[in-house]
Amino acid sequence: MESTRVRTAGLVLVWAGVAAILLMHWMVAFWVPTEAAQGVIQRIFYVHVPAAWTTFLAFGIVALASAAYLWLHDERADAAAVAAGEGGLIFGAIMLTSGPLWGRVAWGTYWTWEPRLTLTLLLWFTYLGYFLIRGSVADPRRGKRFAAVVAIVGSLNIPLIHVSVSWFRSLHPGPVVIKPEGPTLHPDMLATLLVSLAGFTMLFLGLFALRYSVELVSRRTLAVGKAAPAGGVA
Amino acid sequence: MSALRWTWLIARKDLSVEFRSGGRLLAMVGFVVLAGFLFGFALDRSQVAGRAVVAPLTWLTILFASTAGTGRIFDAEEADGAFRHLLLTPVSRPAVFLGKTVANLALTWLITALSFVVLTSFLGARVSGSLAAHAAIFLPGTIGLAATGTFFGRMSRHSSLGDSLLPLLTFPLLVPVVFFGATASARVFVGLPWDQVSGLVRLLWAFAIGSVAVGAALFQHVTDE
Repeated sequence: MESTRVRTAGLVLVWAGVAAILLMHWMVAFWVPTEAAQGVIQRIFYVHVPAAWTTFLAFGIVALASAAYLWLHDERADAAAVAAGEGGLIFGAIMLTSGPLWGRVAWGTYWTWEPRLTLTLLLWFTYLGYFLIRGSVADPRRGKRFAAVVAIVGSLNIPLIHVSVSWFRSLHPGPVVIKPEGPTLHPDMLATLLVSLAGFTMLFLGLFALRYSVELVSRRTLAVGKAAPAGGVA
Repeated sequence: MSALRWTWLIARKDLSVEFRSGGRLLAMVGFVVLAGFLFGFALDRSQVAGRAVVAPLTWLTILFASTAGTGRIFDAEEADGAFRHLLLTPVSRPAVFLGKTVANLALTWLITALSFVVLTSFLGARVSGSLAAHAAIFLPGTIGLAATGTFFGRMSRHSSLGDSLLPLLTFPLLVPVVFFGATASARVFVGLPWDQVSGLVRLLWAFAIGSVAVGAALFQHVTDE
């Protein structure tokens, strides 16, 4: 029953997220003003920033769920970590693709070894390692435990990525929304960004819920299969 | 018995086993010498000055050699079940981790000293700056390498991907060590004053202390059977 409720909530969130992202595309194409310095290429901002936010949200959930799994040994926590981790890799790939496309025009290069870019790429690889370690250990419980540890260690990178813009010389612009003196973004740009953030977040949470429900069902099926007597269930 | 005593006993035991068998150490030494040899051949020194590249190449050689070696630190004990028996003793998990890390660190220091001599010789780079300054950079850097390698070496030992997984797990975390270490060493090589190096060394110490602390805190989760 729990997985059915989660699945229903997931479907609602996915459709709400898709609707918000469609609205964001309309706003980006026809409504939001063009940024004066960078021109039309700045509109990648409305995909890149929400993808980055969703990636860090997803990897944060992986780390928290992994810590819960190590502490409580609850399979649901591990299932949540897997579901969020897959979402994090997908949204991370969107972020790592949209960023260089924007950078090619804004900075004149697809890639530069500046701290935030480098640390984010390394974070993505760490969570790729999360899936490789859990899939390559013969004992599944041990694999889950190892993966949880990788997730926790990898998450230590997330605050470093956040402060890297301030700590090191960086080509990435500083914050324009969350600032002590309030957002310095044009109100229409801020509205478009907020719609996009809401869309990406709902889409991620919906996919997360759907994947989590599938993971719960598959684990229960496996558990029933193991509990059945040799020769199969009559 | 105190945790410190256990740490020392485990490190001494690992080093005794290592020096008696010699296989892993010999492989790491061979790797360093051949890497230096290949770098010496591959670089066109009419275009690239040895002094300009010796610092990053030394750090990369240490990273690759220590990764290849640290992945094996649990092999001998796992093969004959001795590690499981070690876990049954009253020794705490952090002490096991620290003992293994100290043993790894001793081997990494040997590799570091050898890499430094081999790379500077084969690349024809004159050693500038005091040896103490170079050692002050390598010390925290190698602690970070040894602690991270020990921690993830335990995981990769149980993976069917084996040694190919270890770099994927450790390299993303070790990039700061290589970056700060190579930058600091390069500055010493070109004779810059210590105050332009000390900030990087502090970052290396922060990583070293952090990796030892996190490794000791989480080691029980990669050892509990």
